[in-house]
Amino acid sequence: METTKIKIVLIAILIAVPTLIFSQTKITGLQIIENVYNRETGNDMQGDLTMSLINSRGAQRVREIKQFVKDFSGMEKKIMFFVSPADVRNTSFMNWSYDEVGKDDDQWIYLPALKKVKRISSDSKSDYFMGSDFTYDDLGDRHPTDDTHRLLREETLEGETCYVVESIPKDKEYMYSRSITWVIKDKWIGLKKEFYDEDEELLKILLVKKYEKINDYWTVLSSEMHNVQKDHTTKMELADVKLDTGISANKFTERMMKRGLK
Amino acid sequence: MRNLRFKISWGVFALFIFTNGVNAQSLNWSGYVRNYTGILLTEKNEYAIIQNTFNLNIEHSKDRTAFKINPYIYQYPNQDLEIGLREAFMDIYFDAVDLRIGKQQIIWGKADGVFITDIVSPKDLSEFLLRDFDEIRMGVTSLKANYYLGDNTFEFVWVPSFLSTKMPGESSIWFPQLEFPVQPTFDYSQNEVPAKLGNSEVFAKYSAITSNIDFEIMGGYMWDDDPTMHIAKTIDSLTSQLTELAVTPRYHRLGLAGGSFSTTLGGFVLRGEGAYYRGKYFNSEDPALADGTVKRDYLHYLIGADYTLRGVRLSSQFVQQAILNYDDYINNDEYENTVTLLLSKEFLRETLRFELFSYIGLNNSDALIRPKIIYNLVDGFELLLGANIFVGNAGRFGVYDKNDIGYTKIKYSF
Repeated sequence: METTKIKIVLIAILIAVPTLIFSQTKITGLQIIENVYNRETGNDMQGDLTMSLINSRGAQRVREIKQFVKDFSGMEKKIMFFVSPADVRNTSFMNWSYDEVGKDDDQWIYLPALKKVKRISSDSKSDYFMGSDFTYDDLGDRHPTDDTHRLLREETLEGETCYVVESIPKDKEYMYSRSITWVIKDKWIGLKKEFYDEDEELLKILLVKKYEKINDYWTVLSSEMHNVQKDHTTKMELADVKLDTGISANKFTERMMKRGLK
Repeated sequence: MRNLRFKISWGVFALFIFTNGVNAQSLNWSGYVRNYTGILLTEKNEYAIIQNTFNLNIEHSKDRTAFKINPYIYQYPNQDLEIGLREAFMDIYFDAVDLRIGKQQIIWGKADGVFITDIVSPKDLSEFLLRDFDEIRMGVTSLKANYYLGDNTFEFVWVPSFLSTKMPGESSIWFPQLEFPVQPTFDYSQNEVPAKLGNSEVFAKYSAITSNIDFEIMGGYMWDDDPTMHIAKTIDSLTSQLTELAVTPRYHRLGLAGGSFSTTLGGFVLRGEGAYYRGKYFNSEDPALADGTVKRDYLHYLIGADYTLRGVRLSSQFVQQAILNYDDYINNDEYENTVTLLLSKEFLRETLRFELFSYIGLNNSDALIRPKIIYNLVDGFELLLGANIFVGNAGRFGVYDKNDIGYTKIKYSF
């Protein structure tokens, strides 16, 4: 009887140990970043985005945007209406991004002074969005296959157990030489991200300050990007977030860009 | 002056009654106050313009309706106020149809700074082509109906009463100098298009935006915004010398069909626009013509590209006007070629912008070069320092060679 018990325990250990070892080493950097990329965020979202630009002297400029996002078959459409400051009020911006690898986004801007919708190139993803510390690429969902990912370690940050993943772009001309992301286990939220410039120097640090579960989806509500080289910061805060409200497809059209929030 | 004061007082009173009646809290107010001072870059450094502007947008929406009024005031030293309504319209929104009724600016086409299919709203050329985008196009009283089918739009515009191009006053430095061999007499008796249903203008457009290309196809039955100068000559039968010229400005009907497109190719945005104008009148030196004009069809088109290189936005357009069935008596060139160039770069987190825009006339080697620096001191408060440099001796831009201007614009938006 005793021998049988020992045999069972030995068999259990023989099965469990490799499984545990395998499970700990199974997940790769690519898989972690894919999990972040594929994290469920709902079929549509709307919210009020406030962007505060803070310079090295602490002076602050604020931009307010109303944004709508919706998933379509093979693509995501986003439309943003600028509410303030006064000189950009009623400007709108629309972006269609595609699941298809390598297909560039389509982008349009409506300038109320021109009273027409202009197609713009999405090629300049390294341009900064509205003078903030976020580039257009920082704000979008960078496809995991654009970089080579390596799991560096696991560590605790802000009380959360995180995977630390290094990502090196395959395109050597890309604006960052590498980035390091702290991804919260199980939630698949990038809690912190460091961006390194072409000279491998630390350029910017992104910190997620607030996230909540809304309609069963983990949603980032507040983040902060600090440019350590120029010592300026951009705070992004998302308020009045509504998910899966069934936003009409007509919201993402030239008609609505011109009409605005009416 | 008393009449003007009465108008202003009435306007303020009406605005007060109106805003109280419509619940001022729900009105959306925006606009700007601006000072614009320009100095001629000549030895005397005379002022080309000193202008203070108040521009107000009042908007309101409720359920499926909305309205907007856009009054403006231009104030010049020692002159009466210039007061107007740039736009004043109502919107009605249905599921797939929008109606806009009233005075409105209607902008078509993909070109920048060139008017090819953008012909619904006439132009205010009081300052040649130098006014800002929202000021150079005048609102027209019209009915606009849009029908939407996904990303496709069908647009129909009815303009019941013709509005012509606004030309500079005779004392303005922008007044076009017409050259005649003898002093002409002008007959303005036919210089108006009577306001009646038969003199309406109609326009239609189909447009679509897709992931590959945006395009517009349009047509119109309209009036030429600029009058044709019909010139009757009297020649002394004994000396065969020209003794008298009688000039009669008159507007004519025009038909046109055209289209435009915009697409991306790599990092480039490619744009094109073209129109076929039917029945345009040109002045001619043909002695067989009784009134010095000839009717011809003509083409107007452009191709352009936009590109951003290391943060510098570059944009260029090649524009051509071609008169069909041309003869050498026609005063205009058979082909008139123009190039536009734009360079723009932002600094200091988009608070400082340098911009250079120019028109280059290839037929007469003339140009208009417009450098400017714009600094946002704080959000909504803009300081602009710029210049308008005219190059050449002839041509559309060269004729203003003496009108080089340095200027500032200080603008507070709210």
